[in-house]
Amino acid sequence: MLNIQNQYKGNITLSTKISIKELDSTFAKIKGLDIFVGKIVDSEGEWIEPMGPTPYPDITALRNWDLRLLSRYPSFYSPLSDFCEFCTYGKCDLTAGKRGACGIDMEAHMGKWSLLQCVMGAACHVTHARHIIEFLIKKYGKDKPIDLGSEVGIEAPIIRLVAGIKPKKLGDLEEVLTYLEGQVSQLLSATGTGQEQDPNDYESKALHAGMIDLVALEAADIAQISALEMPKGNADAPLIQIGMGVVDKTKPVILCIGHNVAPGSEVINYLEDKGEYGSVEVAGICCTAHDLVRYSKSAKIVGPISRQLMFVRSGISDVMIVDQECVRADIIDEARKLGTRIIASSDQLCGGLPDLTKNDTEDIVRIMVSNETPAVLIRDPVKVGEVAVRVAIEVAPKRKADKGLKNAEILAFTSKCTLCEDCTTNCPIDLDIGKAVNQAKNNNLEPLRKIFAECIGCVRCDSACPQDIPVLSTINAASSEDIKNETFTIRAGRGPIRDTEIRNVGRPIVMGEIPGVIAFAGCSNYPGGNEDLAKMADEFAKRQYIVVASGCSASDIARYRDENGQTIYEKHHGHFDAGGVINTGSCVSNAHSIGAVIKIANIFAKRNLRGNFEEISDYILNRIGAVAIVWGSQHQKALAIATGANRLGIPVILGPQGVKHRRAYLGKREDDERWTVLNARNGKKVYGGPAPEHLLYVVETIEEAMVTAARLVMRSNDTPKGRMIKLSNYVNLHRQLYGCFPDDIQRFVRSESDLPVTIKNEILADIKQKGWKPIEIPDPTLLDRMVLMRE
Amino acid sequence: MSKATAWESTEVRGPKLAFSLTPENCGRMLKRAKRLLIVVGGGALDMKSDGLDVPDFTVTLAKTLNGTIAISPGVYKAYQKYSNVKIINIGLEDLVNRLKESDWNGFDDGGAYDMVVFIGGLYYFQSMMLSTLKHFAPKVKTISIDRFYHPNAEFSLENLSIEKWREGLDSIIKILKVK
Repeated sequence: MLNIQNQYKGNITLSTKISIKELDSTFAKIKGLDIFVGKIVDSEGEWIEPMGPTPYPDITALRNWDLRLLSRYPSFYSPLSDFCEFCTYGKCDLTAGKRGACGIDMEAHMGKWSLLQCVMGAACHVTHARHIIEFLIKKYGKDKPIDLGSEVGIEAPIIRLVAGIKPKKLGDLEEVLTYLEGQVSQLLSATGTGQEQDPNDYESKALHAGMIDLVALEAADIAQISALEMPKGNADAPLIQIGMGVVDKTKPVILCIGHNVAPGSEVINYLEDKGEYGSVEVAGICCTAHDLVRYSKSAKIVGPISRQLMFVRSGISDVMIVDQECVRADIIDEARKLGTRIIASSDQLCGGLPDLTKNDTEDIVRIMVSNETPAVLIRDPVKVGEVAVRVAIEVAPKRKADKGLKNAEILAFTSKCTLCEDCTTNCPIDLDIGKAVNQAKNNNLEPLRKIFAECIGCVRCDSACPQDIPVLSTINAASSEDIKNETFTIRAGRGPIRDTEIRNVGRPIVMGEIPGVIAFAGCSNYPGGNEDLAKMADEFAKRQYIVVASGCSASDIARYRDENGQTIYEKHHGHFDAGGVINTGSCVSNAHSIGAVIKIANIFAKRNLRGNFEEISDYILNRIGAVAIVWGSQHQKALAIATGANRLGIPVILGPQGVKHRRAYLGKREDDERWTVLNARNGKKVYGGPAPEHLLYVVETIEEAMVTAARLVMRSNDTPKGRMIKLSNYVNLHRQLYGCFPDDIQRFVRSESDLPVTIKNEILADIKQKGWKPIEIPDPTLLDRMVLMRE
Repeated sequence: MSKATAWESTEVRGPKLAFSLTPENCGRMLKRAKRLLIVVGGGALDMKSDGLDVPDFTVTLAKTLNGTIAISPGVYKAYQKYSNVKIINIGLEDLVNRLKESDWNGFDDGGAYDMVVFIGGLYYFQSMMLSTLKHFAPKVKTISIDRFYHPNAEFSLENLSIEKWREGLDSIIKILKVK
């Protein structure tokens, strides 16, 4: 008898089992033979956790959870255009209730945009993960162990939670990638005309895309940490130089821009192999920079994405390598004008350049040095490493005169300014550029210097100027001393949060005694410079919150010195503990901030992770006071990460530019019905309070961001002592920044023992006047199946 | 002939754009308000450099028309010195999330606001909030009295020079004070 059986994980077929119970033929006599084709999975192995209900969830597996979240936090849309332009029936005017030719209305159209942005973001990270993992497997083999150090037992909390697997080696991540790519394709398909049509279902899929994004982040980062020996949760990771002024332009300079560390790490490998490291500067911008310094502490970080064009226009780079994500679309042309040699290195960004991947290295070096072909595509990181170094060493001596801005020459352009203010009206953050340029005509450079401190480097001002003034360059030229002195320190990205740290802080976080975890993430399009971000992080660290930062946020909080001349990383410790300021690393290292929250549920609360997404998210939403602040949010990836965090129950605050993502998830504090939770102890529906009130909220000002964060860390499950500490911070910040007492405090006080001692009488008098009555502290859950016993 | 264009050059929206108002017409319109809400955005204090004290102006406006002022939290501190005026501290997104509900009865449960005046927001942020109302609460009458034309409002002042804008706001108050 022949039996054929497929072995699945979620929607992935891992292997096919062919069983022959008994065969008696002229060919052979067989009894009890099992043949496996594909991958055999030992479902028990050393990981004894039972499989949860949703391993490898498909795009509807967590829909009920999403709809539960969306009933509490409905989508709030701000259309950026009145039209739909997705098909050739259009464009269609969807203003104020009108429907398009396909039948869609503005709300559903906004849901589609929301999904589309999240899928774009997720696709970037999934592709990034695919590229780096494939490269590492090729270099180190599939059996290279995933090893994040002896104190990190839970190496992949997000993958364990979503996929239900425990990856032990690089090769195990391949099935994760296959799953992610399949989901991205399905999600993208839902945005097509005639597919999904309900706003909530669009949002459910957007939440799924966000979750997919988080898995990709983690897969990419644990692979590179393991294979490239990046820091493994070291609280004392080395302090690294960061800033426009840290690069030694007397040496050959190689600049890496983007997110994939592979080409940059190969530059360092080649230099080390040749004994040249130290004689060539290797620097980076954006997340590649973070990962370069995690790989080698001798590399340098120029800065975040906002500094990209500013630095490239300085002409200091002899060779510029661009990989993928966050690379400006004009950067190749800009660099080419200055004689910088350019290497594009990714399938994702070919830049219109000739593909010389298969060419002989000697030939490539020759044509690049001679300027016959100054910009090339090489899709082989190892070859990129060699070519970049050899070209940089050869061209640097010839480019000495091209390095640095010609300040006087550039500032002379300002004489053409007619104060038409087209630059000002094109500035996305409304900087008063026109007047500053005009005043430079009279040698008053101070207004331009002020612009430099806040400029996001988008260079729309240049494009807008009818006089062809290179406005961004005038800003830089006026600020040349500031640029020279722009030298700060940043602690290299440490990667994961150690299990031992979670054991120490799990209880105080869940009980509320550490008032919260504040994660800074996102891009650098701030409303008023990076100083605000650094001040926010500092304030929360001083108040004994745990501050975690990744990507451009981690760079930007470093680029500020306090009144004592210290950067934030010099001032605060790097442990995941009260008062710490942690740089986890690049954009993909955002996975560790989120992973830490998941680990708390597992290590402290003993909740199973394996394929158990709903339960863990329910736990996080109701019990763990974590909030993310995405003060700048340019890229679709930022929205995808934020949305992934939202699905896990982590609220996110966006800075004002984030309003252009067009969607928020808002609760209403006065809507008591919405804040009902189930008390897991007896199954009763009880009031849990607006804790947290919003899942995704956009603020206008730094003051609003800080007070909102202090409010959003409150959770239904806080102990009286924990709630007292959280309320104390909330009231204190409210008074300090708004100048008054909060008017909603009655919604957060469950009993008198929640009240901070020093202001107890004052609060009590206020809330009693509003009819406040004590309530019990529930064992909160939104999931019926989590009720332990029913009365 | 004049053409009202958005201050931020890329704020090109669609077929429904704000009717542009002269300050005088704006004053006459506001005079008809029965339940006025004045929304003060997070950039209001920066307008001091344009010679306008937004808190002073909006408090005068509110007192003249018995209106309520909803203030973006980052600006709220500057309103602490005023008395005898209804002020509410609320984020703009939170506020618009309530304004767009047809059954919302206002902060005092006295019914919907018949006119909502915007001033002092970050241009791009305010534009998006006005967009939400334009699309999802088209019955809410929104008026922008910022120095810059806001296409997503129902009515808006045009782009004005600092001097013309200040004079315009003065003339609004003068019109409102005429019995």
